[in-house]
Amino acid sequence: MEALSNQILVAVTFTFLAASVLYLCHWAFKSKVFGWAASGVTWAALGVLTLAIILRWVASHQMGIGHAPFSNLFESLVFFAWTIAAIYLIIELSTWMRTIGSFAVPLAFLSMLYALTLDPAIKPLLPALKSNWLIAHVITCFLGYAGFAVSAALGAMYLATGQAKDPASPRALVLDNLIYQTVVVGFILLTAGIVTGSIWANSAWGTYWSWDPKETWSLITWLVYASLLHSRFMRGWQGKRMAVFSLVGFGCVLFTYFGVNLLLSGLHSYATGK
Amino acid sequence: MSQDQPRKPMAERIWDFFASVKLSFFLLLLLAVLSIAGTLIPQKEGAAAYVRAYGEAGWRFISALGLNDLYHAPWFVLIMALLAANLVICSINRLSLTMRILGKDPVAEAGSMRKPKQSFTLPGEPASNLDKARQVLERLMGNSAQAKDGDRTVLFAQRGGWSRFGVYVVHTSVLVIMVGALVGNFWGYGGYVNIPVGSTVDHIILDNGQAKPLGFSLHLDKFNVAFYPNGMPSEYRSEVTFIDGGKPVQKSTLIVNDPAEYKGIDFYQSSYGNDLKAMEVELIRPDGAKQRLTLEAGKINELPGGAKAAIQGWRERVQMGAMYDGPVARILYQEAKGEPQAYTAFRPGVKMPQSGPMKFEIVKVQTEAYSGLQVKYDPGVWFIWVGCTLMVIGFFIAFYFSHRKVWLRLSPTGQGRTKLEIAGATNKNRQGLARLITRLSHELGGGPKKAE
Repeated sequence: MEALSNQILVAVTFTFLAASVLYLCHWAFKSKVFGWAASGVTWAALGVLTLAIILRWVASHQMGIGHAPFSNLFESLVFFAWTIAAIYLIIELSTWMRTIGSFAVPLAFLSMLYALTLDPAIKPLLPALKSNWLIAHVITCFLGYAGFAVSAALGAMYLATGQAKDPASPRALVLDNLIYQTVVVGFILLTAGIVTGSIWANSAWGTYWSWDPKETWSLITWLVYASLLHSRFMRGWQGKRMAVFSLVGFGCVLFTYFGVNLLLSGLHSYATGK
Repeated sequence: MSQDQPRKPMAERIWDFFASVKLSFFLLLLLAVLSIAGTLIPQKEGAAAYVRAYGEAGWRFISALGLNDLYHAPWFVLIMALLAANLVICSINRLSLTMRILGKDPVAEAGSMRKPKQSFTLPGEPASNLDKARQVLERLMGNSAQAKDGDRTVLFAQRGGWSRFGVYVVHTSVLVIMVGALVGNFWGYGGYVNIPVGSTVDHIILDNGQAKPLGFSLHLDKFNVAFYPNGMPSEYRSEVTFIDGGKPVQKSTLIVNDPAEYKGIDFYQSSYGNDLKAMEVELIRPDGAKQRLTLEAGKINELPGGAKAAIQGWRERVQMGAMYDGPVARILYQEAKGEPQAYTAFRPGVKMPQSGPMKFEIVKVQTEAYSGLQVKYDPGVWFIWVGCTLMVIGFFIAFYFSHRKVWLRLSPTGQGRTKLEIAGATNKNRQGLARLITRLSHELGGGPKKAE
């Protein structure tokens, strides 16, 4: 069952690639057919990905080392792709702006592609990782990260499609508002992720905060988005500035997620591929 | 300028400086940038590690600025204190503004209608439409106020004014978390204790190396490690009894992620290992004479003939490739009338360079298993959890609720009809307000026409 799940994950990766290409075609040729095909393929990919994650969960229980599939870098990347696709599809359903898909769905593809380079074996959990707070921590963090990923995709789209030239146009206003909305969702979930992580650390080691590089970078990300929200609320920053800010913020998210593991060392060592 | 004039403006200037959003913005990003520095420079290492990485001069620079423990450096704490001051002062400033907004007389507000967003006409005079308009408005928006403007009537209602407090909930939560961290810093402590199986301890070793009596004692009844089929450890479990006033008062099971608490002090399963109890060694003199000795750990052993010996340190297993694989001990030995001399002892029959005239060989190692517990007393931790909860609640209020105001103006058109205009205002979420106005206009019988 583990093997089946892994095969499905490979298939899903290339389904996301196909969906990305279809979204780009839809954007380039302004064709409705491509748009519907892109949405259909993305929905299918999300459905099958959900199945693969459930299969992986069941497989771990059959192996006698049952745990929720959110425990290492491989599993987090798969879940990251799932949340990006899910959040994007919700936005598509409420706005019908499929051009966003050209920016968001490739992120899901890249996340899956990175996962495929890692060891997919289901491994037993270290004693420190056996905690329901860990599951809550991973789920909230990655939902938050996905919110930021989609906001960055929207920011990139805002800049790439030249909305800054006419920031008062309805389309630019909708995009600007979506950037704000996704940042808010990401910010609340990142906060919840940091809090659940603290609760977990407190029950495992007796310290809710120890300034390890991963924790510190999550705080840096939090501070950057907190400044973004203050600049919007108090100074009325909009449009291009929001778009650029959302990209900078997502840069911090990416560093928190990958950069810390690759370049810095700390307590989160088990969140690496090894 | 006269002598006594600058005083008040100065205080006011300082106040305004601390109340400014620019300062918050600057401090948030400054903390972010400084935190980055703390993740690039390794924290809380020994001096030697910094000298190796940055050189002598680099280390002097780092230690002068406290960059080796950046997050606890006085200037970093000062920036946090500035942020706290900024938070308090700008909140006080804004709070008076918020109270003024919420305290406005509704009748007066009814008289200051905004620019209409929608407008349409209804059959009948305004007087005959007024009740229905009020009913619809109050169903969606709660109590309404009414004002007259010549022959025109304005109805006013507002909702969600309380949501303006969301931002203060968030700001308070940050302060509560900061207070929690301070309380933990001043009144809390952390340490560890290693308990051999079957033993009792009544004190712990603090992080600074000092011993601290607990005021009660802790007995380790049982310690167990469970493994997965592949050999990875799956669980560490200590079964302990808390003894207070000479009587067992509480039995607890400690596993990783599930600490035990007694009298506010938390005990966490953190490590395990084997402690040396005693070591049987063979002393070989230069003339080949052998002598069996039993050395107890942690004390100076008085030997027959006036000699003394102590075990300074030991490792259960040292691997040196093909040369050696086994226990190693460092033994301090002193003849009755000699100087103390340190020896390194290995298993018998190993060819190793000798450090003195004699030789020690390890015959038998007697160990006992211990369980290592992390100990924490942190009276501030509840502030942290209260602060975190407040923060998340505050976010939902601040981001997902808005203070909306709606005006309905009924004016006679002169042909037995009523002109109805709808205006609205909100502190955020303009789209939500637009939907509300559209709904109002539908329920009042108007079309989707826009105001001119």
